[in-house]
Amino acid sequence: MTGTSHGVGVELDKVQKRFGAATILHELSLSVNPGEFMVLVGPSGCGKSTALRLVAGLEEPTAGTVSIGGRVVNDVDPKDRGVAMVFQSYALYPHMSVRENLAFSLKLAGLAKSTIEERVREAVRALSLEEHLDRRPSQLSGGQKQRVAMGRAMVRHPKVFLFDEPLSNLDAQLRVKMRAEISLLHRKLRSTAIYVTHDQVEAMTLADRIAVMRGGRIEQVGPPLEVFHQPKTQFVASFIGTPSMNFVPADLLPRGAAPASAKTAGFRPESVRIDGKAAGVALGAASVALIEPLGTGAHVHLRLGEHALTAEARADAAPAAGKKVEASVEAKDLFFFDAEGARVA
Amino acid sequence: MRRAGALPWLLLLPALLPLCAFIVYPALESLRLSLHEVAPFSGRAAFVGLENYRLLAGSPEYAHCARVSLLFLVYTAAPSVLIGLGVALALDANPFFSGLLRTLFVLPVSISSAMAAMLWIFLYNPTAGYLNRILELAGIAGPNWLGDPRWALPAVAIATVWKEFGFNVIFFLAGLASVPPELTEAARLDGAGPWARFRHVTLPILSPTLFFVTVVSVINSFQSFGQIHILTGGGPAGRTDTLVYNLYRDAFVHFRTGYASAQAVVLFVIILAATAIQFRLAQRRVHYG
Repeated sequence: MTGTSHGVGVELDKVQKRFGAATILHELSLSVNPGEFMVLVGPSGCGKSTALRLVAGLEEPTAGTVSIGGRVVNDVDPKDRGVAMVFQSYALYPHMSVRENLAFSLKLAGLAKSTIEERVREAVRALSLEEHLDRRPSQLSGGQKQRVAMGRAMVRHPKVFLFDEPLSNLDAQLRVKMRAEISLLHRKLRSTAIYVTHDQVEAMTLADRIAVMRGGRIEQVGPPLEVFHQPKTQFVASFIGTPSMNFVPADLLPRGAAPASAKTAGFRPESVRIDGKAAGVALGAASVALIEPLGTGAHVHLRLGEHALTAEARADAAPAAGKKVEASVEAKDLFFFDAEGARVA
Repeated sequence: MRRAGALPWLLLLPALLPLCAFIVYPALESLRLSLHEVAPFSGRAAFVGLENYRLLAGSPEYAHCARVSLLFLVYTAAPSVLIGLGVALALDANPFFSGLLRTLFVLPVSISSAMAAMLWIFLYNPTAGYLNRILELAGIAGPNWLGDPRWALPAVAIATVWKEFGFNVIFFLAGLASVPPELTEAARLDGAGPWARFRHVTLPILSPTLFFVTVVSVINSFQSFGQIHILTGGGPAGRTDTLVYNLYRDAFVHFRTGYASAQAVVLFVIILAATAIQFRLAQRRVHYG
């Protein structure tokens, strides 16, 4: 099985990337352990794809070093880095069949025909592509193209897999399916993987560790649940979690509920009580602006004075739109941030 | 379904009228005249059946012109496609001064054949021309480009390629712009060097453009007239006497309208056959999407 390939560590040390006057990455440092699934997550333009391209060798760092398996690879050609990349657009060669797409890198590497056939067969079996070997990419569905793109990466037995938003062109249902497939494949292969996405659900479900990026810098690195439960900044708190965390001015809370240095208080939608059973910290009377039923649960959009809040409720217990409710939250579920957005409690 | 009535025809009329007047009617008239012996200036024509074609088939002069045309095709079509491709690749890869260089390379396309030919007459002048002066600086005695039977056809071909390769550059640049950058990046990661990337990724995606440009260049080569007329007038010793130039001479110098019309029909069939052969050869090599 292709799963015999083992990952190596990847290290970005004070990597800077400038395009003309624009600085895309500011002295970015990140250490990815061998065999780890690291997800770089952040909004568009935060530099996550640039960081990935630097590891691939498709961009050169302006300053700093990129190391793969302990070797500085700044001057190493992409093909010699032991990495394989899955592109957002799949980047399949449109004039080649699935078989030719999979075999292309192996032919260039001058491998024996029997080895090439064996590796293609392995990938095809792992990705259930047997029926599509002689088709062109234009004859495949989005999910099948995605599988071929992954197969093309797999056949090379890379030490590091790089994924650049590989699921963003798929519909929601297929995305969930492919997400699970990628996760299973990684468990089999145990290669190191660096995965770029702006979708925090993908980040949470796939990652061993998440690096949350913003404006060319890493705001926080950690396991998904740690990043979710212990966000270090207001940005991380707002970016990780669906629906997004609610934020209100700290002085809106009852006296003594917030530390003196806190400027903003945050709490997750699932922490907001609107069922009449008041929790420890009262937020006040809020009006129900909108209900979004999701099946068993519902998102309840509230107006609390000039602030918009989101709460979660059971669908059958959600209040009607226009109704007044008393909103409250447990003190342990509150997060506090200072004026710069750093977490203070 | 509602009948569209006359409106579509009315809308097509501005395009159809000139097409019929300047393409369809002259083509049909050529076909008709090729079967006649036409008296100059009188308009009187006598039906001679395939006599004009029989004469053509047995004419050593026409066979010579066909050989010159084939040679001219080799000298012009392949270089203008290859140089056009090379220049487009270089411009595409190098963004510096790209706008200025694109303009410079494409400029010859926008000037008339007559003006381009005049320019080359000055360049080719054996005594005062820049070309021989430059060769002289390198210690080489330049030939009489347009007067020497060995050099006349290559000289006209050089002027033709210079005039036409810019047209190909425009199409190749458009074709190169449609090559997704992530494909070449994927190929880099797959281990393809610059040549392998060109051979296995860029060229196949560019193949529809390459095919179009080749077909047009072959047709242009067969139809080249202006520069031959001005630079050499078919000479010296018939060395630049192409099929089109021979046709012109028979039609408008010797006034053998029927015979010249037969040549026009044969040239049309040659170009049609050449294009059909190219389509056939390209069938498996051109990748559309």
